Amino acid sequence: MLSLPHSPLPHSPLACPAPGLTRNLLLGPLIALLLALVAGIAPARAQDSRAQDGSGTLLLRFEGGAPVEAPRLKADAAITVSGPTARATITQAFRNTTTEWVEGTYLFPLPEDAAVDTMKLVVGDRVIVADIREREAARRVYEAAKAEGKAAALTEQQRPNLFTNAVANIGPGETVLVQIEYQQPVRSSAGTYTLRLPTVAAPRYSPAPPAVTSVVERAPAADPVPDRETIAAPVLDPARHAPINPLTLTIALKAGFALGQVRSATHAIRVEDVSGNERRITLADGATAADRDFELTWTAAPGEAPSVGLFRERVAGAEAVLAVVTPPETASPAAAVPRDVVFVIDNSGSMGGASMRQAKAGLLIGLDRLGANDRFNVIRFDHSFDTLFPDLVAADAHHLARAKSFVAGLQASGGTEMLAPLRAALRDATPEETARLRQVVFLTDGAIGNEAQIFSAIATERGRSRLFMVGIGSAPNGYLMRHAAELGQGSFTQIDTPDQVTERMRALLVKLESPAVTDLTATFSEPGIDVTPARLPDLYRGEPLTLSARMGQARGTLTLTGRIGGQPWQTLLHLDAAQEGTGIGKLWARAKIAEAETARLTGGLSPEAADAAILRLALDHGLTTRLTSLVAVDATPRRPAGMRLASTELPLNLPAGWDFETVFGTQDEAPQLPPPPRQRRAAAPATQMAAAQAVALPQTATDFEIRAWLGALLLALGLLLSRRRLAA
Amino acid sequence: MSGCAQQGAAPWRSGRRGLAALPAFLLLAAGLVLLAQAAWIPAKAALAQVLLERAFARTLAEGVAVPPWPWADTVPVARIGFPRLGEHYVVLAGSSGQALAFGPGHVEGTPEAGEPGTAVYAAHRDTQFRSLGRLSIGDLIEVVRRDRISVRFRVTGKRVVRWDASGLDPAAPGRRLVLATCWPLDAVTPGPERLLVEADAVTEP
Repeated sequence: MLSLPHSPLPHSPLACPAPGLTRNLLLGPLIALLLALVAGIAPARAQDSRAQDGSGTLLLRFEGGAPVEAPRLKADAAITVSGPTARATITQAFRNTTTEWVEGTYLFPLPEDAAVDTMKLVVGDRVIVADIREREAARRVYEAAKAEGKAAALTEQQRPNLFTNAVANIGPGETVLVQIEYQQPVRSSAGTYTLRLPTVAAPRYSPAPPAVTSVVERAPAADPVPDRETIAAPVLDPARHAPINPLTLTIALKAGFALGQVRSATHAIRVEDVSGNERRITLADGATAADRDFELTWTAAPGEAPSVGLFRERVAGAEAVLAVVTPPETASPAAAVPRDVVFVIDNSGSMGGASMRQAKAGLLIGLDRLGANDRFNVIRFDHSFDTLFPDLVAADAHHLARAKSFVAGLQASGGTEMLAPLRAALRDATPEETARLRQVVFLTDGAIGNEAQIFSAIATERGRSRLFMVGIGSAPNGYLMRHAAELGQGSFTQIDTPDQVTERMRALLVKLESPAVTDLTATFSEPGIDVTPARLPDLYRGEPLTLSARMGQARGTLTLTGRIGGQPWQTLLHLDAAQEGTGIGKLWARAKIAEAETARLTGGLSPEAADAAILRLALDHGLTTRLTSLVAVDATPRRPAGMRLASTELPLNLPAGWDFETVFGTQDEAPQLPPPPRQRRAAAPATQMAAAQAVALPQTATDFEIRAWLGALLLALGLLLSRRRLAA
Repeated sequence: MSGCAQQGAAPWRSGRRGLAALPAFLLLAAGLVLLAQAAWIPAKAALAQVLLERAFARTLAEGVAVPPWPWADTVPVARIGFPRLGEHYVVLAGSSGQALAFGPGHVEGTPEAGEPGTAVYAAHRDTQFRSLGRLSIGDLIEVVRRDRISVRFRVTGKRVVRWDASGLDPAAPGRRLVLATCWPLDAVTPGPERLLVEADAVTEP
């Protein structure tokens, strides 16, 4: 085997190598093989440990390589509906699975009209009830407790429907509960009562601060979204991660009347009959991923629907009264009033996927319902916008066909610059044509952060136009939708799922075509009554008037007058006949606060006067607002001095039906992240929760067999070689 | 030998002899070192378990974590037993390479065995967790934790996954234990696949 080859050039002495050298040359490949074998183990290891840290271990890592793993979150919602109001208790369990002391920050949504009045922090067997404080003072109390190593929780309002919870000093392996309670009115329209619970804060588009050379009229110098950081949270790509943040839900429904249908279009539910007026509702799958709004709707049994609801609650030496009155529908609508309709459709990136299809379908239904005397236009927007026709055009076959092909060709992408297209839609070329109704139908998910700019524009530029907001998708911004519709004197329609498009768009179109209830006034027989809303809105077909008031004692009468399609209408309520209700005082205060916020935005009140009014109401009624926060601090320090506290933001799911890449773009830096353990379904709730990232398993093979084999081989070679030497 | 070799002068002799002996010597030495290393791996694992048993017994008795040897960077956290196979091992905190050299490791970020969620223990396939191949569905697994709480699990299934796509959620409902080791069990080179043995708690702590 080691015999020498004949030299190719035997006559050249220079070409004759020494035999020993030749042997070494032959050994070269062997040693190279040996090196390759040893080295071959190393690259295999390196490849396996590419997502592991330096010590060759696993494990739970986060996108962007955050140094600390976020605490896990589970939430439970227990809601009791009592007639016109609902009281909800949301329990968030922060579980720290790390070995570090952690501060967790979690961004979460609540209904836009929720009056948040209670927060409790539960650490072990201690329950600490939060105090309402002015926002800055609450923040200082929290920061001090955090520094002292005490368990503390802080609930802050970022938007009326967007809150953050910060929980400090969660020990290694510990679970801390934060319980939030709020009061909420039950909405109704056309005999259907609705309760919504948003579960995830959708990522929002915040327009950039204006460029130096802004040519916009009254260009705001300030950032349109000064708090852009606080309303953003890490979002997991559903293609790479299984859903997180499981949510359980129980609703005790006490309608106050015999119930008909109880349904949820968004989640599979289990409904138990408790009595004729009561139901108990739970999620059929036990838990759901917090990635879409929950909606429950119910109707009265036939013939049982109340047209008037009057409730009272005694609060702090006074009484709060809530009146819900549904004006009658006119039997035969008057001759159809010709309409000018501007459809505005959002085709920004956040609408990607199911939302875009829903919006298109909704708009096409709207186009189909236009009459021969109507005129229309279509505007689409993302970070730019296009107006289909230079001006309103007749709804004839030619124009409708062009509009339909325009809508069909829309693709979702880009940012959400809503202000400019909104202004374009409100721009009224013929304000003197009062014989025609001017209506703007606005289809969007409202995933924006500059709500205040939008509201100001609506309030100052609405003219005679009425603004009808159509919320699209699984987690729309209800605050923007409802408030924009209120300011625009229109209505808000929510479309959660594709199969609701037809039904809900038709209901909206009936509202658009039917005469509204106008010139509403409310007159109390007793003096000194603080009533909200101060100016009653116009109502559309099927919508009730909701009025809340605070007075010394609920007595006397309330007279409502108005005009339905030109015909006068009047009704008289006796306040002493009101039923007992719960949470009505809180809802009155919450409505007053919302009214002051609106007045502040639209110039009705100076910012200082509005803030003073809001602060007084908030502190009197213990409500969380833009200016007040709830803070809870445990008395005894728990984090040992010297132990560091790691801060982390909890990641959120992407709302169901959203397309991650359309919103965030493709991410190149994370191709090696594990694929999701389970396929995520958009249509049905995913019941199986996975960790933000599944456990990565450590390397669990040793190379001792390789070493043993290699050792034996080398030993054998060595022995052979030395035997040959001896033989030679 | 060729003619070339005969040209070699006498002074070359001893040098050539030494040079030729060197590869054989190197091969012998390298072979012995590798064999020793190979023998050391299972020997270390076996020896460590003795020390770990001692440390864990003291941990149980004294109620505080006792390192198995003074310079150890890990502590025993539990003892896992496979009654049908008559085997038991002391589990260490963490699943770093150092910890796994001595015994099964409790994977970071997973709850303690018996607590709500999914606990994961990992160990080398060629030392302690070679036994995973012999565990079958229905077998009992006993875990004694350092807080002296004993939890029994029953094997519900086995599956093979990639190391980075385990699908294991530490916060999943139920009280589960998953044992992980490299797959295939008799492979020689490390690979990306892992064998998982899944078990559900039959007694609550």
